[in-house]
Amino acid sequence: MVVNSFSFLLFFAILFALYYFAFNERTKLQNWLLLIASYVFYAFASIKAIPILAVSTIVTYYLGLRIAKYNDSNPRAASMLTTIGVCLGIGLLLYFKYLNFFISSFASFFNSVGLQCNAHNFNILLPIGISFFTFKLMSYLIEVHRRKMDATTDFVAFATFVAFFPTILSGPIDRPDKFIPQLKAKRTFDYNLAKAGFNQIVWGMFLKMCIADKLAVYNDSVLNSYSFFGGSSALFALLLYPLQMYADFAGYSDMAIGVGKLLGFKIALNFDYPFFARNIAEYWRKWHISLTSWLTDYVFIPLNIHFRNWGNWGVAISIVVTMTLIGFWHGANWTFGLFGLYHGLLFLPLVFGGVMLKRRKLKLNSWNLPEVRYLPAMLLTYVFVAIGLVLFRSDTLAEALCIFESLFGGQFGFSWCGNVIPILLLILLFHDLHKAFNFCPRISKLPFPIISSFLLLLILFLSNTSTGDFIYFHF
Amino acid sequence: MERNEILKHVNEIFRDVLDNEDIILTETTTADDVEEWDSLTHIQIIVAVEKYFNIRFTSTEILSWKNIGELINSIADRNVA
Repeated sequence: MVVNSFSFLLFFAILFALYYFAFNERTKLQNWLLLIASYVFYAFASIKAIPILAVSTIVTYYLGLRIAKYNDSNPRAASMLTTIGVCLGIGLLLYFKYLNFFISSFASFFNSVGLQCNAHNFNILLPIGISFFTFKLMSYLIEVHRRKMDATTDFVAFATFVAFFPTILSGPIDRPDKFIPQLKAKRTFDYNLAKAGFNQIVWGMFLKMCIADKLAVYNDSVLNSYSFFGGSSALFALLLYPLQMYADFAGYSDMAIGVGKLLGFKIALNFDYPFFARNIAEYWRKWHISLTSWLTDYVFIPLNIHFRNWGNWGVAISIVVTMTLIGFWHGANWTFGLFGLYHGLLFLPLVFGGVMLKRRKLKLNSWNLPEVRYLPAMLLTYVFVAIGLVLFRSDTLAEALCIFESLFGGQFGFSWCGNVIPILLLILLFHDLHKAFNFCPRISKLPFPIISSFLLLLILFLSNTSTGDFIYFHF
Repeated sequence: MERNEILKHVNEIFRDVLDNEDIILTETTTADDVEEWDSLTHIQIIVAVEKYFNIRFTSTEILSWKNIGELINSIADRNVA
């Protein structure tokens, strides 16, 4: 059941009616309803994984209570319990997501050095969204241990935070200190928040159905048959791929955040106009923000503290390790690891050139868009991102190398150019106008039904008959 | 050293590291209140504070600070002269 489907609309309509009409202002009942709805929603996606979600939630809840109890009286026990909880989270990820990868990698390594080794892969279920909910569980224990928040004694609120249906499959990864207090507060229908939520859902649908799905048709055809198309078509598809990724993932995030707003929640921001970034450090502050901020807080900062007397080298090591982990977070494949390493290495000139410490403010013009003088830096960053996505998209390093090779060979001329040009025009509109729409007084004065109706019409006329999978559901 | 005096020195270190003479710290100041204070400059500030007061913080206490007051507690606990 995807968010932009009729079955979800029906599911949400029933939930919405019960939430605001039957249980209005009755926080406990609203939370029970959200918890049940979240588990029903998750069951549609991955029913066999329900016990994993439920057991890990219960264990983490009790660990949280124990850690809070021991924080003052027995700090060593509190640290040990936090370590156990974090190891359980990492263990879940390693087992369900990475075990077969480790087995086949070790077997390949032993075979390559002449030791005969047959890999036996296990048939392991991969629970959808495990990368998202385990990160929520771990951050809760760490925050309680760091005394940044109290352990909650409300199990239903905690379980709802972990399984919250708009975000469990594909994020954003909400932080417990921001989200659990919202679950404990009274929630009545807020017209302005709901209006913003509805707008955001329509915007997300437009990104997914009019941009991402359209671009996917072209990009998949060309990049899956790069040896046939080759040359300029492959280069063109490669340059379009970041836009497809953005429209797909930001589209889902917008829908999730919008659904959250309709239920009275403020969900973490996930994208902040990433293609206005002037270097790779800015890009990662604007792309998948909830993941990068998670890894910044729990991996980069502790590493950087540890290496703090190593100067720029300490920063560089911490960044490269963090970025490589971000790569592997996306999946159990060396190409993902290399994707992360590639981005980590792109940070090095910024670290050693002192750019990281001196942030330059992005100056905006009267339309609240970046000034034209930033265009070369923004385009260069975009090209670096596009190159990295070849690794991200390829199943093997050999495939990635073949795609790079095909860029410099094959026929010249764009295939299916006619279909892509209208999409490109839409892209120019969607990325820049959305920023203007959000901040420019001239446009934001337009009444919201006009803007939403316009977008809905576009969705109706431009979307494909069948909706493609969300790329980030696979992580 | 008195808390006020420690705060004065810490304020100077912040202005120096963040290259902003307008920074005025209080015990309740957090990273949200100072624009240039992010995860990277945070470490630079810690290194500068450790060097100035000739002390060494543990990773756990650095990660537990919620505001400037808690940083000052850690410095004061070490009886800096």
